[in-house]
Amino acid sequence: MSPVTVAVLAAAVRAGTPVLFATLGEIFAERAGVLNLGIEGMMLASALAGFAVTAQTSNPWIGAAAAAAAGGCLSVIHAFLSVTLRANQVASGLALTIFGTGMSAFLGRGYVGVPGSGFQATPVPLIAQVPVLGPILFQQDPLVYLSYAAVPVAWYVLYRTRWGLEIRAVGEHPEAADAMGVDVARVRYGCVIAGGVLAGLGGTFLSTAYTSMWIENMTAGRGWIALALVIFATWDPVRAVVGAYLFGGVNALQLHLQATGTSLPTYLLLMAPYVFTIVVLVIATQETARKRLGTPAALSVPYTRTG
Amino acid sequence: MRVSRWGRLSGVLLAGMLAVTVGSGPAPGAEKLKVGFVYVGPVADAGWTFAHDQGRRYLESHANVTTTKVESVPEGADSERVFTDLARKGYRLIIGTSFGYMDPMVKVAGEFPNVAFVHISGFKRAKNLATAFGRIEQPRYLSGLVAGSMTKSNIIGYVAAHPIPEVVRGINAFTLGVRATNPKATVHVVWSNTWYDPGQEKEAAESLLSIGADVLAQHQDSPAAIQAAAAKGKYAVGYNSDMSKFGPKAFLTAPVWDWGPMYAYFAKKVKAGTFAGEDVWWGMDKGVVDIAPIGAMVPASVKAMVMARRTAMIAGRFNEFSGPIKDQTGKVRIAAGNALGDSAQLSMNWFVEGVIGTVPTK
Amino acid sequence: MIALERREAPHPWAPLAIPLISIASAFAAGAVVLWLAGVNPMAAYADLLGEPFGSGFGIAETLVKATPLILTGLAVLLPARMKLWNIGAEGQLQLGAIGAAWVALFTPIGHSPVAMLGVIVAGMAAGALWALGAGALRAWLNVNETITTLLMNYIALLFVDYLIYGPWKDPASRGFPLSATFPLDARLPIIIPGTRVHLGLVLALVAVVIVTVALSRTRWGLEVRVIGDNPRAARYAGMNLARHTLLVMGIAGGLAGLAGVGEASAIAGRLQRGLSPGYGYTAIIVAWLAKLNPAAVVIVAVLLGGLYLGGDSLQISLGLPIAVVNMLQGLIFFFVLGGEVLAGYQVVIGRRRVEPVSTGSRAAR
Repeated sequence: MSPVTVAVLAAAVRAGTPVLFATLGEIFAERAGVLNLGIEGMMLASALAGFAVTAQTSNPWIGAAAAAAAGGCLSVIHAFLSVTLRANQVASGLALTIFGTGMSAFLGRGYVGVPGSGFQATPVPLIAQVPVLGPILFQQDPLVYLSYAAVPVAWYVLYRTRWGLEIRAVGEHPEAADAMGVDVARVRYGCVIAGGVLAGLGGTFLSTAYTSMWIENMTAGRGWIALALVIFATWDPVRAVVGAYLFGGVNALQLHLQATGTSLPTYLLLMAPYVFTIVVLVIATQETARKRLGTPAALSVPYTRTG
Repeated sequence: MRVSRWGRLSGVLLAGMLAVTVGSGPAPGAEKLKVGFVYVGPVADAGWTFAHDQGRRYLESHANVTTTKVESVPEGADSERVFTDLARKGYRLIIGTSFGYMDPMVKVAGEFPNVAFVHISGFKRAKNLATAFGRIEQPRYLSGLVAGSMTKSNIIGYVAAHPIPEVVRGINAFTLGVRATNPKATVHVVWSNTWYDPGQEKEAAESLLSIGADVLAQHQDSPAAIQAAAAKGKYAVGYNSDMSKFGPKAFLTAPVWDWGPMYAYFAKKVKAGTFAGEDVWWGMDKGVVDIAPIGAMVPASVKAMVMARRTAMIAGRFNEFSGPIKDQTGKVRIAAGNALGDSAQLSMNWFVEGVIGTVPTK
Repeated sequence: MIALERREAPHPWAPLAIPLISIASAFAAGAVVLWLAGVNPMAAYADLLGEPFGSGFGIAETLVKATPLILTGLAVLLPARMKLWNIGAEGQLQLGAIGAAWVALFTPIGHSPVAMLGVIVAGMAAGALWALGAGALRAWLNVNETITTLLMNYIALLFVDYLIYGPWKDPASRGFPLSATFPLDARLPIIIPGTRVHLGLVLALVAVVIVTVALSRTRWGLEVRVIGDNPRAARYAGMNLARHTLLVMGIAGGLAGLAGVGEASAIAGRLQRGLSPGYGYTAIIVAWLAKLNPAAVVIVAVLLGGLYLGGDSLQISLGLPIAVVNMLQGLIFFFVLGGEVLAGYQVVIGRRRVEPVSTGSRAAR
C-alpha cells in the first residue's frame, strides 16, 4: 500500500474521531428516545473548556475532563427542557446549539491565537511498527485510542447490560418500561448527559489534539454530521465507526489528491463530504424502513405518565 | 396575580432601559482625530488582523489620535452599515482591512465626502478613498531563499488559502526564491480554501508532509501548519507575524506586516488636509513588510546571504519579479531584462516553473 | 416530590406575558454573563437597544435587516406548521441570489424592462427547487428533512464559491471572487430615499399577508394545519401528505430565495460571499419567538434585526464582540421555550393528582 494511501487512511481516522465521539454520544441519547440537536453547541463549548483548562493546568487530560464536564452540563439544559418540561426537542436542541456557539465565541475571545500545549501523537510501542495498520491506527493521539475503547464499551453497555436493556426499552416503549419499574426520566437524563460528555470529548479533541488552538466555530458543522451519521449507523455503535471514518476520509482524500499534483475541481470536491452524507442518509433511511429496524419508536416523543 | 406582577416588572425594566438610552446624549466633541478600523477577523488571530491591530496601537502611541476597532465584520453588505456608523459617529479616517469591503466602502465614501477612507488590498478609488497594500512578495521571496536552503528532500509544501491573485503572487515569489538557491526543489500547492480554519489547514499541511515535504509555507492566518510541521520535526515558514512560539524548533522565518508607519502616514495627511485617493503600495524600504527574525537553526552563511539580498531589495537594486521567468509549461513569460509590472502582478493567475499544482478556476 | 402537571386551561395572560417575561429573563441572564466577563450590562443594553431605534439611520438599517429575516422566518414557519423543520433557509437564500445573478448577468432579460420581475421569479424558483430537493426526499423516501436541509446549506455556499471563483468571476475584478455588478434594470429599487430600504420589504410584507390569509382562511391552510397537529387524522381524511410536503417546502424555498434576491440585487448589487450573516439560522429563532404566527414574524424580525445594529454599536463603543448578540439570541430562545412550556403547566409540590389519559402528540411520522 503506497505511503500516500496510508497517510489518507491515517488522516481519515484522525479527522473522523471527533465526529465518532459525538455520534456515539447521540446514539445513546436517541436510543433512549431523546433527540439532541445541540451537539454542535456542546462540542464548541467543550472545545473551549478543554483548551482553556489545558492552557491553565498544562495537562490535557484535566482539560479533557473539563471538556467532558462542560458537555455534560450543557446537555442537562436540554434534558431538563425535553424530559422534565416536555418541550419540543427539536427547538430545545437548536437553542442549545445557538447558545453554545455564541457563548463559546464570547468567552473564548481571550484564547484566540494563544498557543496551547495539548496532546501529542503517541505511538503505541511495538504495534505502531506493524506495516500498514500501525501508522494508520496506532500512531495517533491518546484521545483517538480512547475512542477505540469507547466503541466496544458502548456496544457492550447497550446490548449486554441491564442498563442497555432499560435504555432500549425506554426508547422503544416508555409506557411498558415504566410499568416494569424503570425510571424513564432518570434513564433519559442519563443518556442525554452521556451524550453531552462524549460530545465534549469530541470537542476537546479538536482544540487540544487535532490542533492545539481555539477559534470560534472551530467545529465547522461536525455536530450536524454526527446527527446524520447516527442514522447511517442505524443507532449501532460499531457501524458509527465506519461512517465517521468515511466522512473524515473524504475530506482528507481531496487534500492529498491536491498534494500529489492531481488537478480536480476544488469546490465540487469540497462539496463531497456533504453530498456523501446525504446519500448515506437516504440509503440508511431506506434500509431502516425496509428492515423495520433502528429508529427508536419513541424518539423525540416526550413521555407523560398516565393514570 | 403572579403574572401581572411580572408584567409590571418587565415593563419597568424596558422603560428603564429606554430612559437610559434617551438620557445619554452624544459624546462630547473631541479635538483628536478619530480613526476607525474595520477588521474581517478577530484581533487575536495572531495573523492578518493581529498585524493590523498592532498598526493601530502604533498609531495611537505615535500620533495624537483616538482609535476604535470593530472586529469580525463580515465582508459584503453588512460592512456598509459599520462604515456608515463610524462615519456618522465622527470618525474622519476609516480603514477597511479586507478586499471584500471594496464596494461598501466606495458607496459610503460617496456619501461622506469629508471622511477619509483607506481600503487595504482593494483597487477602486475615489477622491476620498485611497487604496493601500504592501509588497509582501519581497519578504516571501526572501523566505523562499531560506526554505530552499533548508530543504533536504527538495519537496516544499505550500498551504495556500483562496485562489486570489495576492495568494498566487505570494506563491510565485516564494518559489522564485526557493529555486534561486535550490533549482532542484519543487513547491507543491494545496488549497485549503480558508483564511482561518486550523483543522482544515492542519489536514492540508499533513497531506503535504505525507508526500515528503520537509519545509512548509502558508498563506493562512492560523499557525496550524507550523504546529503540524513541528510535531513531525520539520520546518515551516509562517505568515503575518512572528509565529515562533507555536513551534520554536520548526519556525524558520515569516513574511510579516508592519502597518504602523503607513497608518501614521495617512493620519498625517488627513490632519494636514492633503489626503487624496491615491494608491499606496509600499515595499520593504518603507517598512510595511519585512521578514521575521530568522531561526537559529539556519546556518549563518544562509542568513548572511538572505540579509544581503534584503538590503539590495530595499535599495532598489533587486526586483524579485525580474526576468527571465518561465511558467509551469516552460514558456518564458518575462524575458531577461524585463520585470513583471504592477498591473500584471495584480491580476496574476499563473504559476512559475517549479510550482506543482494549479490555480483552480472551477 | 416536584412535578409538572398540565393546566386545564392556559392562563389568560399567557400569550403576551410569557414571551415578554422570557425575553426579560434572557436579558437578565445575559446581564449576569456580561457582568462576569467584566462588562457593564446596563451600558451594553443601552447601546444594544438604543442604537437601532434612536435615529433615522438606525430605524432604516433595522428595516434593511428585518427584510430578509421576515422572509426566511416565513420560510421556517410555514413548514413548521406541518411539523417539518426547514433548517435550510440559509442555503435557499443563496440559491435565490444565484438565480437572480443568472438572470441579471447571463440572460437578455437582465437588460430589459422586465429585468426586475425576471430576477425575482428566477430567484424564487431557484430557492424553491433547492428546498424541493430535501422536500422530495422527505415526501417520497421519508428522509429526515432537518439534516438534509442543513447539509444542503453547506453545499449551497460552496456552489456560490464555485461560481464566483470560476465561471461567473467578473473579469474586471482583478481576480477577486466577485460576479459582475447587476445591470441597473435588474436591481430592486430603494423605496425610502437616502436609506438602503428596498422593495424587498414591501414584498416581504405582502408575503406575510398572503401566508397569514392562506393559513387561516383557505382550505389548503386548514389541511396544512391539520397535518401538523394530527397527522393520523389527516391521513384518514385522505389528505395527500406527500403533495403537501412538496408544496410547503417549495413555497418556503421560494420565500427564502426571495430574501436572497433582495440581498444580492438590492443590497450588494452582485453575487459574492457573505450575502447572509446567518439569516437562515436566525430565522429559526424568529419563527419560534413569533410562535409560528406569520403576523408576529414582522415584529420579531424587526426586533432581532435591530439587535444586529445594536451589536455593531456594542463593538464600536464598548469593544464587545458580535458573539454577545448570538449568545443573547440563544438565551432568548431557551427562555421562550421554557416559558412556553411553563404557560401550559403548573408546578405542583407534594401531592399527586389524577389526570385524564393522554398520550401526548406523536411527532414521528
